[in-house]
Amino acid sequence: MKYTVALTSISLAAMLITHAGRAEYQQVNLTVFGMDCAPCAHAIRVSMKGISGVNTVDVDLNTGLVGVKLAPGNTAELRQFNQAVEKNGFTHKDAEVVARGKVSGTAAAPVLEVIGTADQYALTPAASATDVAGLVGKTVVVTGVLPQVSKGKVPDTLRYKTIAEAQ
Amino acid sequence: MRFFLVMACAVTLPAIAGAADHGPIFSYATPVNSAREFSFDTGIFGRSGSGGTQLSTGSGLGYGLTPHITLNAFLPATFGSGPLPETRIFPSGEWSAGASWRFLHSVTSVGKRLESTASLAAVVPGPQADSGVLAHLHRAPGVAGTLATGLASRSQYLWAGSGYTRFAEASHDLRPDTLSWSGVYGYRPARLRRGADQWDYRGLAELTGEHTGDVRAQGHLLPGSSTTTLWLGPSILAIYKDVAISGGVQAPLFRDASTALYGQERVRFAINFSYLKYSSHVSSH
Repeated sequence: MKYTVALTSISLAAMLITHAGRAEYQQVNLTVFGMDCAPCAHAIRVSMKGISGVNTVDVDLNTGLVGVKLAPGNTAELRQFNQAVEKNGFTHKDAEVVARGKVSGTAAAPVLEVIGTADQYALTPAASATDVAGLVGKTVVVTGVLPQVSKGKVPDTLRYKTIAEAQ
Repeated sequence: MRFFLVMACAVTLPAIAGAADHGPIFSYATPVNSAREFSFDTGIFGRSGSGGTQLSTGSGLGYGLTPHITLNAFLPATFGSGPLPETRIFPSGEWSAGASWRFLHSVTSVGKRLESTASLAAVVPGPQADSGVLAHLHRAPGVAGTLATGLASRSQYLWAGSGYTRFAEASHDLRPDTLSWSGVYGYRPARLRRGADQWDYRGLAELTGEHTGDVRAQGHLLPGSSTTTLWLGPSILAIYKDVAISGGVQAPLFRDASTALYGQERVRFAINFSYLKYSSHVSSH
């Protein structure tokens, strides 16, 4: 019995450590230009669902907003979301994201690393600066905006609105 | 030799799709397939006049090579016969294969885009004989090109296009060159600008025109065989996710064609069904 409890505790601790160290996009909201009709929305949805880890995709034709929610532990990269838009002949503007990641770099130049992907962004405050100095080396949840960049590229800066240590 | 060259083009190039996918049914328009998207079209296209009625069933296949280049092919079959003039803007008995290239694509706001598309296709006579004065001609392949430009938005659509087809000579016979043009305006009322999971409707007014040159038979031009016609009519397009159904009817606005040779063509109508198979492929890490 003691052995079972100890094993379970070790497994749980290992899962928590793994989860704390892992990072991923939790939600990506893209504004897409050029969609005029139902097949446009359907095409975007099919393409987004082709990305491993995507749970749900909502498309609003009148606002052009494409909302993507992702499963925990996914390794989807931003360029895949961009590609899903571009392959259908549309263009994407700024993306609002909720992401979990590890803050690296220095207090003066913090960087968010999305572990399991190649994505990393220099963190800059969107408005009033939140002190991220104490978050370097920690896992955080960030909400913010990834600005539009030219086709085929991924932005290198994340303008964060909120940032907090992950629980 | 020329025949084999054109046949080779038919295999390696693609066709003009005037009425296909989720655009207008009679007119030229700009939409092309998404990358890796397959589109399947099938429809019934009818022309009726004093000399009889001709129905064509056409099946089209399109494949999006890139977001802006689509390969397409069209396989027709015709039923009934009537002494009707040559037409290229309206599906008739030719097989075709070609490519469409959306060379201008300006996307500047939500739900709106400006674009221009050019198409080039090899056109090959099908196994079925033509009717009327065209029935006795030796047939040869041809080349068709179209150019369309326009605007698509959540509320309005506007496209203008033109096409030209030229056939090769066969045993001193020559089917007429055709120059066709179209203009289409579409509107989606505010209460029909609905969600992506609901049926999407739009109404269109389609104006099409066509000029066909003289028919040459055994080296001689057939007097009075040239025609010019102008057609106008409404069409409706209904789309649900990956399925589109469209239908329309047109009546002649202007007609300069020999009644003795071609009878009096009174109405054109079409129903088209499209299935759009989108690709979920997105490159992985």
